[in-house]
Amino acid sequence: METETTPAQADVSELDLVRRCQAGQTDAFDQLVTRYRTRVFGMIYNMVHNEQDAWDLAQEAFVKAWKSIGRFRGKSSFYTWIYRIVMNVTIDWLRKRQVKAGGAEFDDAIQLKEIDPASKTVPKADPLPHQRMEQNEIRARIDHAISQLSPEHRAVILMKEIEEMQYHEIAESLGCSIGTVMSRLFYARKKLQISLRDVYENV
Amino acid sequence: MKTFEEKWTAWLDGQLSGKELTEFEASLPDLAAAQLEKRDAQKLGSFLKEQLGAQALSNEEFFSHQLHERIARDTQDRPRSTSTWWTIPRLVWSGAAALALFILTTVVLMTQHQPGEQSEYLTQILQTQVDPRANPNATISIFESKNDNKVTVLWTEGLQTLPADYAAK
Repeated sequence: METETTPAQADVSELDLVRRCQAGQTDAFDQLVTRYRTRVFGMIYNMVHNEQDAWDLAQEAFVKAWKSIGRFRGKSSFYTWIYRIVMNVTIDWLRKRQVKAGGAEFDDAIQLKEIDPASKTVPKADPLPHQRMEQNEIRARIDHAISQLSPEHRAVILMKEIEEMQYHEIAESLGCSIGTVMSRLFYARKKLQISLRDVYENV
Repeated sequence: MKTFEEKWTAWLDGQLSGKELTEFEASLPDLAAAQLEKRDAQKLGSFLKEQLGAQALSNEEFFSHQLHERIARDTQDRPRSTSTWWTIPRLVWSGAAALALFILTTVVLMTQHQPGEQSEYLTQILQTQVDPRANPNATISIFESKNDNKVTVLWTEGLQTLPADYAAK
């Protein structure tokens, strides 16, 4: 059973797997999916704050990756290439949702959504009830703060702080310049500092 | 030229060094306050990583299985050989080839249609009415369109002088 790997570890045979995918071998694509499914799902979940939507979007992103893998030329890493697809799918979905919500900054329903304590998307430490409640409150505050950001700002802050991606990797994934990435990071951090300072100062 | 936001972000992430770092820190009105802000932003980063970094995908195997089925279905519905034939580069090349063929055909047709052998104009050489002593080699021609009579050109050649009262008759 293949385990999740970091991009650096994955690079060795990744190109080989991509070549096999391009030859139509679905088992090679299964291996790539196994490598990235958790990270892709986590990234999408942090952007949309809903497990079912994140699942569906992750599926859609991988299907698109399979369909367009013939055009992957290896100029960037597979990791940034798949992230580009993931970001396109997710940002597009968020934009459509925003339009459906009547152009509001974001749908409040997501902010108020209860996080299922039994869900595997919450940390697995099996905390005590009061700890769990506290953790849920923190998570809700974070989700609320992130939901106030534009999809592009969400994407850069999550890719930088959670995925620890370099500026150029984020730029490649979002199809923008490094300067734009840095500028978006500046504003996203400022907004989150304002809305979450009392939380992270007291945790 | 980097904007302030770009420099600030690079400084915060430890991406500035040497002269750039010195210049940026010197340009800050309150370095101590900026250092506090930097620590605060780093704290935010660690907090987000800690809180959001442990996302797990429930039922991973089912996720892969569902994806595998979708891909298999999609592959059956649309054979790869037909779906990948008319890619954008191929369309571009086909368009360019068609354009080149059109230009080539046009050029060939135009060169074959040189005037001279079979002019569309009817040429009549008129009896010269010019004084032969003054203009010994003068000729006067009239060109008329064969298809209609809307175009008529009077062509005179070899005139050395043109009498003031001259009129072609």
